[in-house]
Amino acid sequence: MSSQNIFKLMVAILLTAILLSACAPATSTESPPAATEGSAATEAPAMTEVPATEAPAATEAPAEASQLSGKVTIWMWKAAHDALTNSGVLDEFKKVQPGVEVEVVEYNPADVYQKLPLALQAGTGAPDISLVENSHLAQIVALGGLTDMTEWVTPYLDKMNAYKWADAELDGKYYAMPWDSGPVVFYYRRDVFDAAGLPSDPDAVSEAVATWDDYFNVCQTIMEKTGSACFSNNKANNYGRLYEMMLWQQGLGYYNEAGEVTVDSPENIATLEMLKKFWDANLTSDQLEWTDGWYAELAAETDAKPIATLVEAAWMGAFLKGWIAPGTEGKWGVALMPTMEEGQVRAANDGGSAFVIPEQSENKEAAWALTEFLFGNVDSQVAIFKASDFLPSLEEAYADPIFSEPDPFFADQPVRPIYVDVVKEVPIAYVYGPNYPEMSGFVATAIQKVGTGQSSVEDALKEAADAIRAQTGMP
Amino acid sequence: MAETSVMKRPNLPMVTKLRKKWTEIYKARWPYLFISPFYILFLIFGVYPILFSFYLSFTEWKGLGPIKFVGLRNFELLLKDKIFWQSMTNGVILFFMYVPILTFLALVLAVILNSKRVRGFRFFRTLLFIPYIMNIVAAGFTFRLLLDQKYGLVNVLLGMFHIPPVPWLESIWGGRVSLCLLVIWAWLGYNMVIMLAGLQTIPGELTEAALIDGASPIQAFFYITIPLMRPVILFSVVLSTMGSFNLFSEIYNLTGGGPINATLTPVIVIFDQAFGNFRLGYASAMSYLYFLILFVLTLLQFRYFGRQVD
Amino acid sequence: MLTQRFSGWLTNSLIYALLITTSAFMILPFIWMVSTSLKPADEIFAIPPIIISPNSSLKAYAYLQSQYNILGIVKNTFVIAFSATILRLFFCALGGYGFAKFKFPGQGALFAFLLGTMVIPGAVTLVPVYIIMRDLKWIDTFWPLIIPGAANAFGIFFMRQYIMSVSSELIDAARIDGAGEFTIFWRIILPIIAPGLTSLGLIFFMGSWNDFIGPLIYLKSPEHFTLPLIIRSLIGPVGRTVYDVQMAASVISLIPLLIIFLIFQRRIVEGITAGAIKG
Repeated sequence: MSSQNIFKLMVAILLTAILLSACAPATSTESPPAATEGSAATEAPAMTEVPATEAPAATEAPAEASQLSGKVTIWMWKAAHDALTNSGVLDEFKKVQPGVEVEVVEYNPADVYQKLPLALQAGTGAPDISLVENSHLAQIVALGGLTDMTEWVTPYLDKMNAYKWADAELDGKYYAMPWDSGPVVFYYRRDVFDAAGLPSDPDAVSEAVATWDDYFNVCQTIMEKTGSACFSNNKANNYGRLYEMMLWQQGLGYYNEAGEVTVDSPENIATLEMLKKFWDANLTSDQLEWTDGWYAELAAETDAKPIATLVEAAWMGAFLKGWIAPGTEGKWGVALMPTMEEGQVRAANDGGSAFVIPEQSENKEAAWALTEFLFGNVDSQVAIFKASDFLPSLEEAYADPIFSEPDPFFADQPVRPIYVDVVKEVPIAYVYGPNYPEMSGFVATAIQKVGTGQSSVEDALKEAADAIRAQTGMP
Repeated sequence: MAETSVMKRPNLPMVTKLRKKWTEIYKARWPYLFISPFYILFLIFGVYPILFSFYLSFTEWKGLGPIKFVGLRNFELLLKDKIFWQSMTNGVILFFMYVPILTFLALVLAVILNSKRVRGFRFFRTLLFIPYIMNIVAAGFTFRLLLDQKYGLVNVLLGMFHIPPVPWLESIWGGRVSLCLLVIWAWLGYNMVIMLAGLQTIPGELTEAALIDGASPIQAFFYITIPLMRPVILFSVVLSTMGSFNLFSEIYNLTGGGPINATLTPVIVIFDQAFGNFRLGYASAMSYLYFLILFVLTLLQFRYFGRQVD
Repeated sequence: MLTQRFSGWLTNSLIYALLITTSAFMILPFIWMVSTSLKPADEIFAIPPIIISPNSSLKAYAYLQSQYNILGIVKNTFVIAFSATILRLFFCALGGYGFAKFKFPGQGALFAFLLGTMVIPGAVTLVPVYIIMRDLKWIDTFWPLIIPGAANAFGIFFMRQYIMSVSSELIDAARIDGAGEFTIFWRIILPIIAPGLTSLGLIFFMGSWNDFIGPLIYLKSPEHFTLPLIIRSLIGPVGRTVYDVQMAASVISLIPLLIIFLIFQRRIVEGITAGAIKG
């Protein structure tokens, strides 16, 4: 008989344990419900007033908003977190909203893109705010589970770089608030250009690399005279980002306005053929981006064959300065990126990010208050920019004097006006979008095949295009 | 006696049969209770998911929002999916690349250690076994660093012997070789231990007798040891075969499936489709097809090798 | 067994060469890991490579504790591994006993079914199990890593083989004395099979400790992380990977297992080989 009792007891224990776990507060976003309910009730009237009072309210809103409380958890990566911390904006926010506690959890972008969708799907475990790069933004918006921010962001629609809203929008509603943009420029090593006997001041360099054909000639000279690789373009593990920048510059992309897949269009093929020329002529380094080898080659001394140029977005300047190549201060310059055809716009975008607020957040008001304070507010954006070189998407910020200051890292060249000029010219392109991760994966594989000599450009792109068509159902 | 046994043979009515069965079952309630946790858990976390997965494979779903029924479309797409079939091919290629070496090396090392010829049996066995307890994330990442083409320790050491840098992770076959190196590194100790145990069931006198009769050690190895070790070798090979298709953590942390999809396995493709592209319906269809293929393969293996062992 | 008939020192040296090379291959990554965890960051890729740096310090480890609360992570990993192991052992012992020492209708079919489940690749159930966990609200808890794994066919198989070798006389005697079935299991069987339980338990423990996929999918908040996740999260593409810190985390992950392994070597080996021989 005691056997029976023991058994029953164990079953009871097991069941209790299971029940307890169901109630266990295992999630991280715990905000006392009562507090937010109270503030939500008083918040509502204030919210509907703001749009009516337009522009001045944008910079003054924090002073008028009622006091909020609770905890706001943000997921973002280290570089972004450092930017917010070093600029002091989080402390400023604390002064305006002392009742709101901000907690940042650092994740790599890759981890965010894994965890956030899972949390959205599960309906639990998501933060109050997450930072998302524009490349993945559309996909997450399309997934669902994000708060509709249309009402909140309407006053900012014409204040931000226009192209930033495309990825945040779905069926006429907006689900994200832009932070920064990534206008693409041409970084180059003045010392390498000097050693190759080429003019090294920015205007001359801009002219010298006006088109990719011109760029090709410059690279040949550099290789001949100094042995330096022109830029790095790994073959077997290529990510395809340089290719994307080339497409963006032409207003092209992986698909077109009509929603048709253009991966194997004649223009896309021609663009990859151009990139291939550099491989064939051995003008590139095989270091993969974002590896220690790559950093080492960027930071190398003049006589150690550093990488001579880098077509990348404005945020790269901050990385070079801050931790990739601080020892090369004064050796870099910034020019305009090359175009495929003469006379085209010399601008493209790579990266840029935005804040999203998951629907399951229990502290949406506070989350938006923080978001607006950081990115809708000129002072905050300028402070962040000072600390990080992340170019604000908020165009009003460009009026600040810091944008015309010379930068010692770039040999006292005032580089920021270049970023601003470029960002205003960025064409509408069709690189990002709800299917970006998938498309980019297929095209990257195609580029890898071309780089390793496995396939011709046309065949590789056609194969990728067909696979994308089959998988996504796009024509 | 004959009459009674004949008389005892009429067909019992159904009810009596059922009652007998039920009594039997009731008498056996304890073993049923004891084995029930497994079946209950499996019902919840095995059978139900398998059935649900089956249902999902005919739908399109992002994990959020409505589930859309699409009939056989997923399977149609699957048959044309180059990435999936590439991953199956990779499984076969990887199998031939590392299973023979792994099995043979494990066997040879086991034989050596077992021969009592070597001092420090325990010491070597421990050393060879350590990779098994190492965390695969750490191991994969460490290998990635060691095999870096320009800055990795391996190429640096090879450079000292004037060997040009090997594109470990920069070429298709390099990627596969690197993966096999990692897998062999991780599983050699484990398989060797299995072989050691098997060797201990072989009576020493057999080999002794053969050697006295003039056979060389190599001959003894091939004609006595290996045939007697057949079941154990089979066990090891079957484990490794399942492994070669199911590799996940090793690949995820070393090559990510590249270069150029050279080291993708079906599990990684399914994982990507489900958790990267949010195509849950398609991922389910894929896992089903994969399961069927694997099931058939395993059946074939047992049938073929089963006959051989007899 | 190949005996002293090996001829000459040549064979001897070949053998030792093979053993030493292979052992070195096995050990090299581990040594490099430990060495890197102690080095200052700029010496990690030095050429020629530095094994023991004069600038060694435990800085990386301290950083792990202050920034990531590594001890808390170790605790998480331990709690999960321990719970999962205990639960698994209990169910497997119970199930194995049921199959080993009883006869009941449908036994053959049920056992065959059990073996069959070992063939199913985890991929098939990945998605639906995730959905179940979601509906149970077990996401970001430890439960998904403990409960489903308790249905371990290999464990039951192992235990069955093991228990079959236990003498039935003890059991029959206990029954005659009027002991209940569960008491027999608890008081008589369990103590006898303790060595087998230890072996199996160690295998389970190590498996759970190093498990990567489960925590990757189910654990969300950093305070719930396990060691494999931390190691993984220390890999940073944008922004550098702090190698010394990451290697330090790997070493920390390894040490408990290493200690367990050195103490319980024999049992672990028994556990692995039992499957091969009796299987």
